[in-house]
Amino acid sequence: MSGQVETAAARPRLSRRSLTLNIGLFLVGMHVTVALLTLVWTPYDPTGMTGGRLEAPSWAHWAGTDRLGRDLFTQIMIGSRIALIVGFGAVAIAATIGVTLGVLSAFATRYLDDILAAAFDILIAFPTLLLAMLVVAATESASLFSATLALGIAISAIVARLTRILAKRILSMDYITAARTAGASWPSIVFRHLLPNIWPMLAVNFALQFGLAVIAEASLSYLGLGAPPPNASWGRLLQEAQGTVYTAPFGAIAPGIALVTLVIGMNLLADGLREAGDPTRRGRQ
Amino acid sequence: MTASLKETGLGFRSLTITVAFALWGATGAMAQDNADPSAVIRVGSLYEPQNLDNTAGAGQGINEAFNGNVYEGLFQLTDDGDVVAKLASGFEMSEDGLTYTFTLQPDVTFHSGDPLTAADVKSSIERVTAEGSQSSRKRTLANIESIEAKDDNTVVVTLKERSISLPYNLSYVWIVNDAAKDLTSGEDGTGPYKLDNWRRGSSITLSPYENYWGEKPKNGGVTFSYFKEATALNNALLTGAVDIITSVQSPDSLMQFQDNPSFVVTDGQSTTKEVLAYNDRVAPFDNVKVRKAVARAIDRKRLLNSIWGEYGTLIGSFVPPTDPWYVDLNDVDAYDPESAKALLAEAGYADGFTFTLDTPNYDPHPIVAQFLQNELAKVGIKVNINIITANEWYTKIYQAHDFQATLQEHVNHRDIVFYGNPNFYWGYNNPQVVELIASAEASGSEAERDEKLTEANRIIAEDAASGWLYLYPQIVVSTASVSGYPVNGLNSQFFAYDIAKQAR
Repeated sequence: MSGQVETAAARPRLSRRSLTLNIGLFLVGMHVTVALLTLVWTPYDPTGMTGGRLEAPSWAHWAGTDRLGRDLFTQIMIGSRIALIVGFGAVAIAATIGVTLGVLSAFATRYLDDILAAAFDILIAFPTLLLAMLVVAATESASLFSATLALGIAISAIVARLTRILAKRILSMDYITAARTAGASWPSIVFRHLLPNIWPMLAVNFALQFGLAVIAEASLSYLGLGAPPPNASWGRLLQEAQGTVYTAPFGAIAPGIALVTLVIGMNLLADGLREAGDPTRRGRQ
Repeated sequence: MTASLKETGLGFRSLTITVAFALWGATGAMAQDNADPSAVIRVGSLYEPQNLDNTAGAGQGINEAFNGNVYEGLFQLTDDGDVVAKLASGFEMSEDGLTYTFTLQPDVTFHSGDPLTAADVKSSIERVTAEGSQSSRKRTLANIESIEAKDDNTVVVTLKERSISLPYNLSYVWIVNDAAKDLTSGEDGTGPYKLDNWRRGSSITLSPYENYWGEKPKNGGVTFSYFKEATALNNALLTGAVDIITSVQSPDSLMQFQDNPSFVVTDGQSTTKEVLAYNDRVAPFDNVKVRKAVARAIDRKRLLNSIWGEYGTLIGSFVPPTDPWYVDLNDVDAYDPESAKALLAEAGYADGFTFTLDTPNYDPHPIVAQFLQNELAKVGIKVNINIITANEWYTKIYQAHDFQATLQEHVNHRDIVFYGNPNFYWGYNNPQVVELIASAEASGSEAERDEKLTEANRIIAEDAASGWLYLYPQIVVSTASVSGYPVNGLNSQFFAYDIAKQAR
């Protein structure tokens, strides 16, 4: 009896797991495809004032037009590209800084480790957006690069702390002690033993942070601190649509949908990766 | 509005020129017959004052609530831009223009019961010019050499230099009882209303002053209710929580009122100008031809429509129609991209050029910047948009003059004088204009002053000293049952005493 129940329960879990991953892959893949497409083709010139003021969605303008008569669908497509650039860029910066510092901290003497750990905690205590605003303010002017850098630095503390904890656990394992006893150099331990073992957990976290970076970039652009106009960041589109939300709600809804689908896609992808990569579940498949 | 220039230099106004406002008549005529004299008018506003003293940094909200309602000046700036005598019953100017003798209205009392005397007037003007005063009028009144209370009813003001605009400048000075103590949270004025109650963060209630010297208000009191943001304000009007909202910041929120017979939308003329300010000191904007080319390359009609829909006014210079020296200069550099290209070629920029437009990060500047970027690209000029905060604007542009071009809204009435100051942030320096503006203030008559400033106005337009993109509308929305309110809101004033509300 109990065996039967377990089998029945295991099946839906299996299909649900792949469904999560598949939906995530589909949503993210859709945005990646659109972003790549914008490099060679968009329905309209993104800055061209091709329509009337605040036109409703139609066959000519799928998401309507903004106050200047620019095609919103084109701008949202470009927005995908900006969101992905910032997302990938920020996560890459965060991974480089965060993983390096996290591993360093795990290897360091107790004294240095304590200082680094405290520094990570302090940085994490700052809201990501606030930290990013500080970095943007410190650079000469707001740009796509400054926004990406700012978010990368803000996220790196989170990555560093996670890396440190994961690395410490691995470093206390018997096989590391064995490797050390056998005279393995520290680069060899880091690259052959440590990173391959913490990589799956880090990858899941990167996917999650990617989604958060996309939202944070939209928030920065909403505040006028992201990529400067006419870069069609979704945050900027939302900000511009704010005043016309009663008369032209599509101006806010369309970029909102784009933002939500990419972030949900990244989160589902992260969930799917976690479930697929979780060694405690692997046996049940 | 945070970075708006609140400072006005010398200002002037003819008593004779009147400007027609079609809508004034329309709203003024309705609902008079059935008016309820005891009705309390509920006004919704976004501008709660910080305190109740206009010399202590109270903000524009205090002008809205108190000017003409609670406090009065020797003179009053009316809603259509005229200066009329209020607490002064008359005045005489000496031959040399340096001595003004003001006679006060008789039988005026403060809300505390004290009679108005010349000593009150003297102390009230000195409050504005005092060391610690934060009044935006401090600088214009610095021209006063001395004030003397000749007798209880006569005040003599002596000036350092001739100033034909003294009555206009005095319209900004509240006459306050010199015995009054706490003016930041209380009042003692001579106006038709006295302060009933101030609930911080929420409302100011005014009730009629029974011993008012002039005509009684047409209503039984006013409540100014304060809101944090525009949507809440609009909803308050929709749900009947307020009768009038004082300024609407976007045309798109008007849809809910426009086609509804329960509401009246009035489209007045503000004094707020959206300006593309070049740094006239640096290349390429030191070249008149380049500035004219830029002006001709911009379809301002389309821009105004993008931002304000059906509302707003195109102006061909810095002067709005409520200033006495207004002339229609829209045709000086009308939209003409072909001649813009020709002018650029003549100026040596046949292949165009690139410049950075420092753009404040709040509406409407970013969207205006994108429009300009688009339009100027068509004549070969590349615009890089650099988004900055209001604070950066103040330090980088207003103080350090470190910019090529910027966008800013200039809110003041009678502010053409900025073009007579070569050290102003935009660095426009035409000796002829400097001379005209300086000598206008020393004119012997208002007609002479107006003639000089009209001439200065024409020259700055010919020089395309800046790009004057459009004049903001001043939109007031009310329920159909109230009438008689000001539509232009000059200097944020909102006179409430003529508002009548229909009995239900």
